[in-house]
Amino acid sequence: MSKQPVSRRQFLNYTLMGVGGFMAAGMLMPMVRFAIDPVLAEGAAGEFQTTNQKVDELTSTPVRVDFSYEQQDAWYTSEVTETAWVYKDENGEVVALSPICKHLGCTVNWEGDNHKNQFYCPCHGGLYEKNGNNVPGTPPTAPLDKYPTKVKDGFLQLGKPEPQTIA
Amino acid sequence: MNWNGKDVESYKQQKEYIDTAIMPLAPVSFGAEMKEAASQYEFIQLLTMLLEKQFKGRTLLLPPFSYQSKKREEDKIAALNSWSEELREAEFKHIFYFTSDSGWKLVEDKLDGTLIWVPSVPLEHMEPSYKYSLIEEQAKQFINIIAHKWQQ
Repeated sequence: MSKQPVSRRQFLNYTLMGVGGFMAAGMLMPMVRFAIDPVLAEGAAGEFQTTNQKVDELTSTPVRVDFSYEQQDAWYTSEVTETAWVYKDENGEVVALSPICKHLGCTVNWEGDNHKNQFYCPCHGGLYEKNGNNVPGTPPTAPLDKYPTKVKDGFLQLGKPEPQTIA
Repeated sequence: MNWNGKDVESYKQQKEYIDTAIMPLAPVSFGAEMKEAASQYEFIQLLTMLLEKQFKGRTLLLPPFSYQSKKREEDKIAALNSWSEELREAEFKHIFYFTSDSGWKLVEDKLDGTLIWVPSVPLEHMEPSYKYSLIEEQAKQFINIIAHKWQQ
């Protein structure tokens, strides 16, 4: 019997330790996973949506950029399409403006109805400067919202539109 | 504006700016034309949704006027004219009807409002991206028609 390297007591100890270890790990793993989950998720989802507009191709003339993503609202999943007017300002910075009129929410157009160098709202004749500031004397009372922008692999990414303050 | 609580609330506050009603006309039938009617409705629904998005601040998109295809023409016209009467009372200056049912085209002059007849495109087997660009192309023409009507 002395040749046997493991005694009954040792065997039971090892087994209990092993099983206990697995149980502890089984409990701790999900906790750790939950704790670090926000760190891992950020890169994957984020708030920014990628468009198929190449940043190199942007000029000082605003162009329409459409992008769509899936939005889930309780049981209802829908594809949302959003639009931005995007151009490069004189410093070469990318500017992306929301086309939603601040008056009652129509879609504004660049140089619509022959308004040179302005955004025009066809509903009630609202006008905005190129930088999004509303032209006094027209119905809108605030500048167009601005999208935060990012560049990824040469493509433009847009976040959630934020209100602008008059510069 | 859409036909929901939130938009109707802003309609009530900004009534003087919202003078245009858009109403889809949707035939319903369970016979041979059932699929065609459903597919037309799908198309008209997407189109009017897009127009509402474009002209949110001046238009109210109403629930569709649905009717049985087999009903007599005179009854349909009377039912629709009763709607336009109520819309005029509610101070809508412009009324647009959108439909793919060619029956309306023949009786256009008996209606109070602008009838826009669009031959529908079967969308059921289309790629989503292609579908949206097609609807957008169509909508562009109607954007001009509506903007033109406003300027008159």
